[in-house]
Amino acid sequence: MKLSIDRQIYSDACISKVVYWLSAQYAIERTLDGTIETLSISRNDGHPFDETELRSQCLRLLNDYKLRQTIDDETRDIRTILYAKAFADDENLTVE
Amino acid sequence: MKYYLLPFKFTRIGDHEVFVNEVGDMLHAPIGTAEQIVNRTIEDPELYKSLVANFFISEIRIPALLDVYAERLAEKKRFLDDYTALHIFVLTLRCNQNCIYCQASSRDEHCAASSMSRENMRLAVQHMFKSRSQYLTMEFQGGEPSLEHDLFLYGIELAEEINQTEHRHLTYVLCTNSINLTDEVMATCKQYNVLISTSLDGPSWLHNQNRGKQDSYEKVVKGITKAREILGADRVSALMTASELSLNYPIEIVDEYHKLGFTSIFLRALNPYGKATDNADWEAYTNRFIEFYKQAFEHIIELNKQGHVMIEEYAAIILRKLLTPWCTGFVDLQSPAGIVNSVLIYNYDGYMYASDESRMLAEENDFTFQIGKLSESYENLVYSPKVKEWSKVWNNEAIAGCSDCALQAYCGADPVRNHSTQGDLYGFRPTSLFCKKNKAIIEYIISCVIDRYDELMPIFRNWIR
Ligand code: SF4
Repeated sequence: MKLSIDRQIYSDACISKVVYWLSAQYAIERTLDGTIETLSISRNDGHPFDETELRSQCLRLLNDYKLRQTIDDETRDIRTILYAKAFADDENLTVE
Repeated sequence: MKYYLLPFKFTRIGDHEVFVNEVGDMLHAPIGTAEQIVNRTIEDPELYKSLVANFFISEIRIPALLDVYAERLAEKKRFLDDYTALHIFVLTLRCNQNCIYCQASSRDEHCAASSMSRENMRLAVQHMFKSRSQYLTMEFQGGEPSLEHDLFLYGIELAEEINQTEHRHLTYVLCTNSINLTDEVMATCKQYNVLISTSLDGPSWLHNQNRGKQDSYEKVVKGITKAREILGADRVSALMTASELSLNYPIEIVDEYHKLGFTSIFLRALNPYGKATDNADWEAYTNRFIEFYKQAFEHIIELNKQGHVMIEEYAAIILRKLLTPWCTGFVDLQSPAGIVNSVLIYNYDGYMYASDESRMLAEENDFTFQIGKLSESYENLVYSPKVKEWSKVWNNEAIAGCSDCALQAYCGADPVRNHSTQGDLYGFRPTSLFCKKNKAIIEYIISCVIDRYDELMPIFRNWIR
């Protein structure tokens, strides 16, 4: 099965995370042509699989990781401040 | 709609999207809500208020109560400030049971070469007091530690002597099969207020079959009765380990604990160490354990509904993480991992190890988690290059798979298990059975809180009191 993904919509990191979780069951080859990345997917055990189901699972995962990426990007600074306040020894740490 | 996102993670459980913030507070909403939150199109005003109140979003860039939130985060990781609190002393590998599934590679009770020397006990107790923790638990394990009564007593007396100037809160635990609870052993337990932690697998026929003995159950129950009479019922607890055979009998196991007057049970899976590694198919075992857990859990709920007190301890730990602001201190579900941070092992062989499982691996000639000789200084041991190397992989906030996982706040990191089952410390979550089991059970408990709130919360509140 082949799945084409536009890298302008889904980042390399998002796609990598999807590939990571699927790789327990699937062998996935990644090729990049311009901004289009193609995943060539087959089962590790060679058994047939439901392509429609896997396609929708991939898209669901991609969308979830894209949302998580947005949350991470938007909250990186506040998270750093939060952890610094929680664990830094300097009790006088203040945020302007 | 203008607001700022705060850090949180989400997943789907059943028909819900579940949101978990940095301190483990959980909210749930219909599927599609995460997208609404990120896109600033939240439709439900009540949900909006909850998200603000629970630090998922903020109407100003830096929330006014950020200091309070930071304090709550620090509280959840309080175990780091507490330093190593659990100190396990493996007195001997000698055992009078040699159970079929033994995870500790026990030896015959007459084997002379597998007990700790008094000198190593002295060094170990001194190391324990080097930890800055105000609360020190000295846990005696084996083999069967009661076979080494003199050493057991010597360790406690040393600790008491040092504590006259240290003034720490000391707790003693004897992990015993209860078969050798002689008057001598019980006198020591009584004198020093030692807790007894024993193991009982279920009804007589199941327990005896697991142990490969005719009369183990009868002896264990006799030992439990004796310990309760001398120490008090609240000083005696029991643990079960689910062998492959046990997985067919969740109801019978729970009923046995209830019949014997226990008010809690820890439904524990086998770990892949020692003789237990002979188990042929760990994936099949894990799948069956998850089903076993759910059936036993539902039976425990039924007992509670009938007015009996029976707590499932694993669920209680998850519920505390989920519903209270406190850190649980349970070393198996911790990030940074329990190894070294919360537990150290002083083994009979004169070496310090990172965890109970680490010393079990050493019996299979895998010394990866052997920290060093007890004769070395505490600082050289716990700050050794080996330990520093492990610290790179002991946070689930920073390892692939876990770093995005919404269950991260309730789960833990386990480099020892990763190493023993997957061949590297970092581990690979998609095929990790540790991950699979934790995920399945934590999701099950969360779904109980969400879908059966009115039915189960009164019971759960009792469990986490
Ligand atoms: S081990 Fe699995 S369930 Fe636990 S935090 Fe990591 S990914 Fe989540």
